[in-house]
Amino acid sequence: MKGSRCLHQLKSLRLLSHAGRRLPPPAAAAAAGDNGALFRLHSSSLLGGSQCPQREVLRHFHSSPARTKSQPARFVQEEDKTRDKSLVAHDDLFEQVAKETKTKATFNKVIDVYTKRDIRRRGHVEFIYAALKKMPEFGVEKDLTVYNKLLDVFPKEVFVPQNFIQRMFNHYPRQQECGVQLLEQMESYGIMPNTETKVLLVQIFGEKTHPMRKYQRIMYWFPKFMHANPFPIPKQLPEDPVDLARFSLTRMANDWDAKVTVYQLPCTDITDSGAEVTLPHIVGIQSPSQMEALAKHNPCRPVFVEGPFPLWMRKTCVYYYVLRADPAPPEEKLDLDLDRDLGDDESFDVEDLDDGPVFAMCMTSQGDQATLNQWISGLQQSNPILGQIPTLFRLGAGPRELQGVGDTDSASGTWFSSHAHKEEADPGEDGEAVVEEEPRRSQGVKQ
Amino acid sequence: MLLIHHTSFYFSVTFLLPMHNPVTISKKACFVLQAEVFPYPEIGNDEVEEIKQLVAPVEKFFSDDVDSAKIDREATIPLETLQGLKDLGLFGIMIPEEYGGLGLSHTIYARLNEIIALDGSIAVTLAAHQAIGLKGILIAGNEAQKKKYLPKLASGEHIAAFCLTEPGSGSDAASIQTRATLSEDGKHYLINGSKIWISNGGMADIMTVFARTEVEVDGVKKDKISAFIVERAFGGIASGKPEDKLGIRGSNTCELSFDNVPVPVENVIGEIGGGFKIAMNILNSGRFSMGSSCAGMIKKLIELTSEYAATRKQFNKSLSEFGMIQEKFAMMALNAFVMESMAYLTAGMMDRPGVPDCSLEAAMVKVFSSEGGWICVSEALQVLGGLGYTKNYPFERFVRDCRILPIFEGTNEILRMYITLTGMQYAGKILTGKIKEMKKGNIGLAIGMVSKKLRTSLGASVDLGLTGKDGVVHPSLEDSAKKLEQNVSLFGSTVESLLYRYGKTIVDEQLVLKRVADVLIHMYAMTAVLSRASRSISIGLRNHDHEVLLANTFCNDAFFKNNYWMVQLQKHSPENNDANIKKIAKQVLENRAYICSHPLERTY
Repeated sequence: MKGSRCLHQLKSLRLLSHAGRRLPPPAAAAAAGDNGALFRLHSSSLLGGSQCPQREVLRHFHSSPARTKSQPARFVQEEDKTRDKSLVAHDDLFEQVAKETKTKATFNKVIDVYTKRDIRRRGHVEFIYAALKKMPEFGVEKDLTVYNKLLDVFPKEVFVPQNFIQRMFNHYPRQQECGVQLLEQMESYGIMPNTETKVLLVQIFGEKTHPMRKYQRIMYWFPKFMHANPFPIPKQLPEDPVDLARFSLTRMANDWDAKVTVYQLPCTDITDSGAEVTLPHIVGIQSPSQMEALAKHNPCRPVFVEGPFPLWMRKTCVYYYVLRADPAPPEEKLDLDLDRDLGDDESFDVEDLDDGPVFAMCMTSQGDQATLNQWISGLQQSNPILGQIPTLFRLGAGPRELQGVGDTDSASGTWFSSHAHKEEADPGEDGEAVVEEEPRRSQGVKQ
Repeated sequence: MLLIHHTSFYFSVTFLLPMHNPVTISKKACFVLQAEVFPYPEIGNDEVEEIKQLVAPVEKFFSDDVDSAKIDREATIPLETLQGLKDLGLFGIMIPEEYGGLGLSHTIYARLNEIIALDGSIAVTLAAHQAIGLKGILIAGNEAQKKKYLPKLASGEHIAAFCLTEPGSGSDAASIQTRATLSEDGKHYLINGSKIWISNGGMADIMTVFARTEVEVDGVKKDKISAFIVERAFGGIASGKPEDKLGIRGSNTCELSFDNVPVPVENVIGEIGGGFKIAMNILNSGRFSMGSSCAGMIKKLIELTSEYAATRKQFNKSLSEFGMIQEKFAMMALNAFVMESMAYLTAGMMDRPGVPDCSLEAAMVKVFSSEGGWICVSEALQVLGGLGYTKNYPFERFVRDCRILPIFEGTNEILRMYITLTGMQYAGKILTGKIKEMKKGNIGLAIGMVSKKLRTSLGASVDLGLTGKDGVVHPSLEDSAKKLEQNVSLFGSTVESLLYRYGKTIVDEQLVLKRVADVLIHMYAMTAVLSRASRSISIGLRNHDHEVLLANTFCNDAFFKNNYWMVQLQKHSPENNDANIKKIAKQVLENRAYICSHPLERTY
C-alpha cells in the first residue's frame, strides 16, 4: 500500500515538474532513485506550502480517463484558477447563508442546500474541505453529529473498491484523503467517532481503506489516552468566579485536609456618597500542615505575599497569590551530617530544591495590596503568629481582574486571538511587568 | 501499527480448555469458566446512560431521606421511606415494563443494589419482595397470573413474600410439612401449616407459598411440593410477632400460620407438583446481587474509615501511616474489587439471551462476598477501635447487618456443597466414561493418560491459551493468568484422584467438599478479576493500573491458598488433620461439653 502510494506521489511529482516547472528534471530523477521517505521529504520541502497544485495533479492522475485525455496538458496555473473558483463558490455558500448568524443550524442548512442542489454531488470534496475550514467559525468544530452529517455528503458505494487491483492501489485517493482529513480534524479537536461514523465510512469507502484505518487507529488510541491525565479538569468549568477559585485552589493544593475559606464574597455596594464600590472576592486555602509550618516560622524573618501567578484551566487563565517565606538560612537548619565522605552525593537535584515554604494561597479578582491585606488579616484569625511577622507585599503588575472566565470552550478560537490582541494593545500595563520584575514590585510593609 | 480490535478478545475459555486438555477432569474447571468470561461483559452506551439517570436519584434518596440509625433503633422502616422507594420504582426493578415495572437487566439490578445495600433493612425488604417474593410469578407464572399480580407488585401497592422455611425444615427444603389439599368441588386448594422467618411476613399481601400436594404419578399417589400464589385477602392467614433480630432490624420477619386458606386452582404456579424446582430456581437466581451489594457497602466503609484514618493521630503519626492499618484498607479494596468483578461478570452472563443457568456462579459469588463482607466490616470497625464499637458510628450496625449474609438465601455450608457436587457430577460423568473405555481395553487412552501424567510431573508447563500471542489476558496480567492455569490443571488432577479415591461416597466427605468448593470459588474469582482488569487496560479506563495491581495481588494470594488447599486434598485424612478434627468434634459432641479438665485443677 505504502509502495503504491509512493509510486503514485512520484508520478504526480513528475507530472508537476513537467507542468509547473518547479522541479528540474534531474532532481526528480534523483528523487526517484531515493527511498520513499527521503522522497517524501524532498517533495514536501520543495513544494513547501503549495499543496494545492499537487492535489490538482493527483486528480489528473486518478480521475476519469476521459477527462485526462481531453485535457492532457493543462497547466497548474490555469487549474488553480478554475479550482479556486469552485472553492470560492463553496465558501460563498457558507458566507451567504450565514451572513447574520453563524450557528449549527445554519451550518446544517448549508450542508442540506448543497446535498439537495445537485444529485451528482459535483465537487463534494472541495465542499467538504471548505466546510471543514469553516467549522470553527460556526462553532461546530466539536460536534460529532455535524461531522457525521458532513461525512454523509460523500456519495455511497461509489468509492468502494470492487476487485483486488483496486484494493491494492489507492482507489479514489482524493476522496480517501478527504475522508482522512475529516477524521484528522475530529482527532485534533478530540472528538471520538461513533458507530454511525463507522457505518458511513464502510458505506462510502469500504473496509480496509485509509479512512477506515484512520478510524480504527482513533478508536484504538483515543480510549487509551482518555484517562491518561490523573488530574482531570472537567469540560465545563464553574462559571461563578468563587466556585472557580475554590476548584482551582483545591486542585493546586492537592491535599484532602486543606481547607478553603471564602474571606469575602463579591458584591456591589453603594456608599453614602453615592459612589458604587465593587468588592472583589477573596478565596483562600490552607492545609493543617501549612498552618503548622507557619506557626513554627521564625517571627524575625518576614513572609511575602507574592503574585499574581497564572494558572491555566483548559482555556481559562486564573491568577493566584501565595504567602511564602524565603528558605531557612543554612545556620538555622539542623545539619548533623558534618563529615564529608567519599560516598557523598554532591550532584544538584532539581526535585530537592529548597524553595522556601508556601503557607497559604489565595485567589481574588483584584490583586491590589488592600485586598490582599484583607486576606492576610483573615488568615491571621486562624494563624495568630501572622500578627508578629512582618508581611511584605511583592506584587507584580498582573492583570487586575480575572480573565476569560466568561469564555466557554466554543469560543476558544476567537478567545486566543482576542487575548493576544489585548495584550498587544495595552503594553503600558503588561509590557513593563514582562521587561523587569524587580523594580515594578510595589513594596510595602504591613505594620 | 499495532491494531488490536476489541473483538479479537472474543475467545471462549470453554473452547480453549477442552482443546488443550482433551479428556481430563479440568473440564470440570471449564464448567466454572462456562459461558464466555472473556471478554468481560459490557453494556451498551444507552444502558450506561440509563444507569446514570437511575442511580443519581436513588443515591440522593439514600443519602438524604433514609435514616438508617432510626430504622435500626425503631426496628421498622417509616412509611414515608417506603413510599419514597415505591416512587423511585425500586419495588419493580426487574418486572417487565408491560407489567408496570422498570424492566431492567440483571446488570442494572446489581448496580442499584450497590446503593440499596447501604441500608441492610431496606435491602432485605426489597430483596424479599422482588428477588424471591415475586420471582415465582415472574419466571414460572402464566400470563393471567402475571397480568393480575405483577402491576400492583411493581408499584409497591402490594408487597410480596416468599414462604418456604418451616420449623422443621430449613436448608432441607424438600422436607416441608405444610399441606395443600384439593377441596371437594375441585376449585380450591386448602393450605394448612406454618412457616417461619418469613421476610416481609407481617406486611406482605401476596405470598409465594410452597406446600405438599398429593400427585398421582403412574397410578401411584405421591407427595410432591407445589407453589401457590396466596393473597392475604383469602383469609385464614395469621402472622406472628415480628422477630427481634441481631441485624437488619428494620426488616419485618415473622411467623405465618395458614389455617384452611382457600387458594383457587388457577393460583398454582407452574404445574402442580413442580414446586421444588421453582423454589430452587428462584433461590438460585436471586443470589448473584449479593456481590455488588457487599461491594457497595465496602466502598462506603472505605470512604468512612479512610477519613478517620487520615485525621486520627497516634504516636505523632496519622493512622494511615501504620502498616497494619494500611493492610486493612488494602484488604477492603481487594475484596470490593473481587466481589464487583464476580458480581458483574455473573450478571452479564445472566443477561445473555436465552435462560442461561448461572446458579453455580451465583452461589460462588454469594459465598465469597458474604464471607468477604463480614471480614471487611469487622476490620473497618477495628480501624476506629473503641469508637467503632459505639452506636455513635454506623460500623456496629454494619457488622450486625452483615452477619445475616452467610445465613440467608441458602447458608454458605449448603452452597459450598451445591458448588462442589454440581461440578463433581459433571466430572464424574466424564470419568465414568473414561473408565468404561479403559475397561473395554482402550490401551491408547490409558497410555495417553500415563504419558500426560509423566509429562506434567516432569514439569511441562501448563498452557490453556489465556496468555501469549492470541491470549485473552493482557500481558501485564500474564503472571497471574499463568497462576490460574496452573491451578486449573492441578485442580483437574486433584479432583480426578479424589473421585478415584472416594467414588460416590465423596458426597459424605464434607471437609473434602469444602476445600474443593473454596478452590473453585477462588478460581472463579481469579478468572473474573483477570477478565475485568484485561478489559480495563485494553479500553483505558481510569486508574486501570490500580486494577492491575489489585488483580495481580489477589491472584497471587489466591494461588497460594489454592495450592495449600489442593495439597491438603491430595493427602489422606490423618495427614491433613481431617481425621483429628472429626475426632475432636465427635468427643465434644458425645459429651455435649468442653471436656478438658480445668488447668488449675490438681490431682494430688
